[in-house]
Amino acid sequence: MLKRADKDLFLKDNKMSNKDLNPKFSTRNSADEETGKRYFIRLNLSERLQHFILFACFIVLAVTGFMVMIPEALAQALGGASETVFFYRGLLHRIAGIILISVGIFHFMYLLFTRAGRRWLVDMLPRPRDLKDMIFNIFYYIGFKKEPPEFDRFSYKQKFEYGALIAGSTIMSATGLLLWTEYKWSKFILDIAKLVHGMEAILACLAIIIWHLFEVYLLPHKSPISKTWITGLIDEDEMKEEFAGHYKKIMADPALRQVYVHGENESDQTTDTPRQVKISDLSRIH
Amino acid sequence: MRFNSLIFAKHCGLAALSLLVILCAGMAFAQSDVIPDTENCLLCHRYPSMGRFDQNGIKRIFYINETKFANSVHGKLRCKSCHVGLDEIPHTDIKKVDCSTNCHIKEPSTGKEFSHVNMIDKYQASVHGTGKTATPKPFPEDLPTCKDCHSNPMYTPFKGMWGKSEALSNETLSRCIGCHTAEQWAQKFYSHFTQRMRRRRSPAEIITLCTRCHEDSEKMARHGLETVDTYKDTFHWTQVKFGVENAPDCISCHAPVGYTTHDIRPRTDAISPINPANRINTCSNQGGLQSCHPGATDQFASGRVHAYGLKAQMMAGTESVDNENRDMSLVRKRAESDVSAQDAFHYQILEYIRLFYKVLIGGTIGFMCLHQFVAYRSGRKKHAKTG
Repeated sequence: MLKRADKDLFLKDNKMSNKDLNPKFSTRNSADEETGKRYFIRLNLSERLQHFILFACFIVLAVTGFMVMIPEALAQALGGASETVFFYRGLLHRIAGIILISVGIFHFMYLLFTRAGRRWLVDMLPRPRDLKDMIFNIFYYIGFKKEPPEFDRFSYKQKFEYGALIAGSTIMSATGLLLWTEYKWSKFILDIAKLVHGMEAILACLAIIIWHLFEVYLLPHKSPISKTWITGLIDEDEMKEEFAGHYKKIMADPALRQVYVHGENESDQTTDTPRQVKISDLSRIH
Repeated sequence: MRFNSLIFAKHCGLAALSLLVILCAGMAFAQSDVIPDTENCLLCHRYPSMGRFDQNGIKRIFYINETKFANSVHGKLRCKSCHVGLDEIPHTDIKKVDCSTNCHIKEPSTGKEFSHVNMIDKYQASVHGTGKTATPKPFPEDLPTCKDCHSNPMYTPFKGMWGKSEALSNETLSRCIGCHTAEQWAQKFYSHFTQRMRRRRSPAEIITLCTRCHEDSEKMARHGLETVDTYKDTFHWTQVKFGVENAPDCISCHAPVGYTTHDIRPRTDAISPINPANRINTCSNQGGLQSCHPGATDQFASGRVHAYGLKAQMMAGTESVDNENRDMSLVRKRAESDVSAQDAFHYQILEYIRLFYKVLIGGTIGFMCLHQFVAYRSGRKKHAKTG
């Protein structure tokens, strides 16, 4: 049974159109700190750590990987240091590769064996609705529709990116391991591995820059950068703005509120008063 | 008389001065380790400005720096050991240097007169030689001669295991000179030995040397060959590019340990290191400084190393051949024997994968760019409206 406060909020939410949702772009000003705000959990500590290791490895892999493609003149410009640079390039690439593969395996286990992971997997599964969302969202962007679709926990953009990440990492890991153990395989397999490894790397890096960095960095309301990857949190305004569907679901279901609303699973869950969020809270393990 | 004696005294003075100059010069020459110029060639060839333009307009320099020459690998030889003839001045009886000439130096292991004839015999039988068969190779002028690859290199200090070349040379030589009292001989022997301990050219220099011909598509086509540009698509080249000391260059595979660069053979030759039967040895390079692919399996070693080039394109039908062109039809003919149906199939598969990725990258990234562009524009508009 819903508690009164939740019920009120639910009704309020249902009456509310997207227009009424506060489309606030510049969030987190000093007033937020004073008035307090409801924050939603987007990434738990494990997910944030996985993301952090993944992106650190990705950068190392991209830099050390694309180094083999630099023109001859540039390699020679390194002078006497070029051989040493080449040696450490290879070493770092392999180390980062192993770490990335390990994170991939860990993530797979996480999806299967933890409650949060299973929830993630279910929410991340592609559905026909995503295609509809994508079309309507593009219509909204170009002005054919007045309102954007209400996204659930993961929008089509994130599902697309996650799918690409899973596929890309698998392909890169497999081809990378083939190239590493080159003496065992036929040249034809190695030729394919080399070609795919290079092409997939170009695709992955461009996709990350254009799709992912744009989302978290270049969008006007994210400026200068979305902090979700550090704090794991997103404020209520942004939640309403970006994941309206999920927001409504959470607010309607106390069980989901316990999971996703920051601080809700503590003693003050009966009150409707938004909690004051302090910086120290943000680093707490969820 | 008085006048005459003055002139006489002046002449004596000049003679004494000249003698002093000659003596000093003689002492200076005596200090450098040069072989005495008994043929007196340096009378003219010591002048740096000595040279002329030949019929082809190429500047030929005839100046010999005596000290540098003395420190070169041929420094012990007199000029006429190689430049035979030259009895007339100006030299109208000049003959091309023949490296198979017996020179008057004794080869220490046999005591016979030294000659490069062994190497030249091997070379002539190799893929680069003119051959000894009745039918001479076409376009013999394209085939490299000794001087196309060899110069008369200088001995350079040995920077070996202990780094400090001077110290290493001094210490080693002091041990030699205990028994081999002729210091000049010991110095030469040491220089020769340490010179041969090293590769004369870095991998990048080897690539430059070989590609001088092997990247010339016209020259290659005359012999039914494709250029070796596709080597630069391999990871072997990546290592050369970064100046890795023992990076795999041309001779690493075409003349590995146990072979000489003078004896490079075609792939079909049973003793060639790139013959499929010998590939495992070549790829693993056991006993070499760089043991490249120590666990090389037969499967690994049987594939082609250079990326697919013109011949594969011809066989896959992606490159149309002008049958009127003699050279191209020659390449086509060789392609038919060199590129197996399996190779052509592999090449096509790789091309399909490449095409797939090009479409995938173009499509995906194109869609992403468009999507983000409209998203950004819409976001800006909204941002401006709401402040």
